[in-house]
Amino acid sequence: MAETLPDIVMMHADALLERARQGDKNAQGKLVQVWYKRIYNFAYKFFYDHDLAMEVSQKTFISMHRNLAGLQEVTRFKSWLYTIAVNYCREELRKRKASRSVSLNDFSPGESEVSYTWETSSGKMDNPEKQLRQTELSDLLQQCLMELSAEQREVVIMKEYEGLKFREIAEALQISENTVKSRMYYGLDGLKKILEKKQITKEALGYEL
Amino acid sequence: MNYKPDEGTLMAYLYGELDAAETEKVEQYLQQQPQMREQLQQMNNVRKALSSLNDVEVIAPPVFVDHEQHSIPFWKAGYFKITMGIAASFLFLLVAARLIGPEVTYSHGELRISFNDAPKNPVVEQSLTANEVQQMINTSLVKNNETIATNWEESNQKIQESLNKNLTTNSARIDKLISVASLASQDQVRTFVSGLQEENLKLMQDYFKLSSKDQQVYVESLLVDFTKYLNEQRKQDLILFQARMNNIEKNTDQFKQETEQILASIISNPEGTVRKVNNY
Repeated sequence: MAETLPDIVMMHADALLERARQGDKNAQGKLVQVWYKRIYNFAYKFFYDHDLAMEVSQKTFISMHRNLAGLQEVTRFKSWLYTIAVNYCREELRKRKASRSVSLNDFSPGESEVSYTWETSSGKMDNPEKQLRQTELSDLLQQCLMELSAEQREVVIMKEYEGLKFREIAEALQISENTVKSRMYYGLDGLKKILEKKQITKEALGYEL
Repeated sequence: MNYKPDEGTLMAYLYGELDAAETEKVEQYLQQQPQMREQLQQMNNVRKALSSLNDVEVIAPPVFVDHEQHSIPFWKAGYFKITMGIAASFLFLLVAARLIGPEVTYSHGELRISFNDAPKNPVVEQSLTANEVQQMINTSLVKNNETIATNWEESNQKIQESLNKNLTTNSARIDKLISVASLASQDQVRTFVSGLQEENLKLMQDYFKLSSKDQQVYVESLLVDFTKYLNEQRKQDLILFQARMNNIEKNTDQFKQETEQILASIISNPEGTVRKVNNY
């Protein structure tokens, strides 16, 4: 997870960022191309919902476009972008809490869209049975993630799936590095218990790992 | 051992974000605390489980819509500001000038910016008539001509003098040179001719000497050759003569023997012999 495409691109992207910061539309477009998948997946794992993830990613990139000129240090772009994404995620979460009905409805329509996405995107798995199992497993894991608190979930997703360093997460969430590590610890601990509760053992995962 | 890593350190260890010294410390601690190691192992298992949740594929929107209008109104553009500034300052100057009351005049080829009252132009007096001017010009021309004529005369004379001088000196020099040259040439010719004659003489003498010697040798060799030839001839003649002599001798011997035989046969058998002789 750490060697994602954005990471590789980022190594050569200082120039791109600099141009985007100076208002180059092409460079900004490229930045969106490079980072859209990451931000979308972050939001998707956070909400387990396609629509909300789309909403958050679009808002994030519109905000990025508006505020990029104000970004002082190009090297902090990554954590800066995640800060924006996290803030929109929290905003959406507040809205959802305010109107419970939406949040209750969210689960089933969200899932149907998800299964569609999985079907089209996992061409690398030629075996349909395997594909189904993978889909089931993904659903299970995603449900486990959803049982964590939002604070722990943010940190776990950033660390496990976005490959950020603890320092970068601390920057993104504007909290201390120790708090991040502590949340990570309790997040993993919580996940362990949830997995045990759902009886997802190492053996059950074995054939997929 | 009283070292006990906190949760944060353990997390950093789990994700490999500790430096080498810290990592070693934690590893030592974990060796002594199996239940702690077990806990971390379980957390690692959780991580492994999490890793089977893959990314969802998504296509980024191709165009990033730009809501802000970035074009600058023309009255905010830099060049417009500059030109307007210049124009305004110029206008201000003009107005100020008008109020203070200076005058800007352009006459007789001069631009005059003056304050309060315009100065009177210095009037050029037109007291000279055309005739006078003509006269002045004429006189000046005449004077000019005179000076030119005198100058020309002087320079002419000077040139003439210098030419004459040069001519005389040059001709004298040339004469001298020629006489020297002629003298020199007569002597040289004489010496050259005599030298030639001597050389020729020598050559002839040498030639004759050489040729007489050669002829002598040649004649001698001829004589020698002739004597050799004569000797050879004589030898040959002698040999021939001897051969003839021998031949004659042989013949005479033969004849003698024959006559002896005949005589003998005649003596021994006079009849037969007679017949034989008759048969002959």
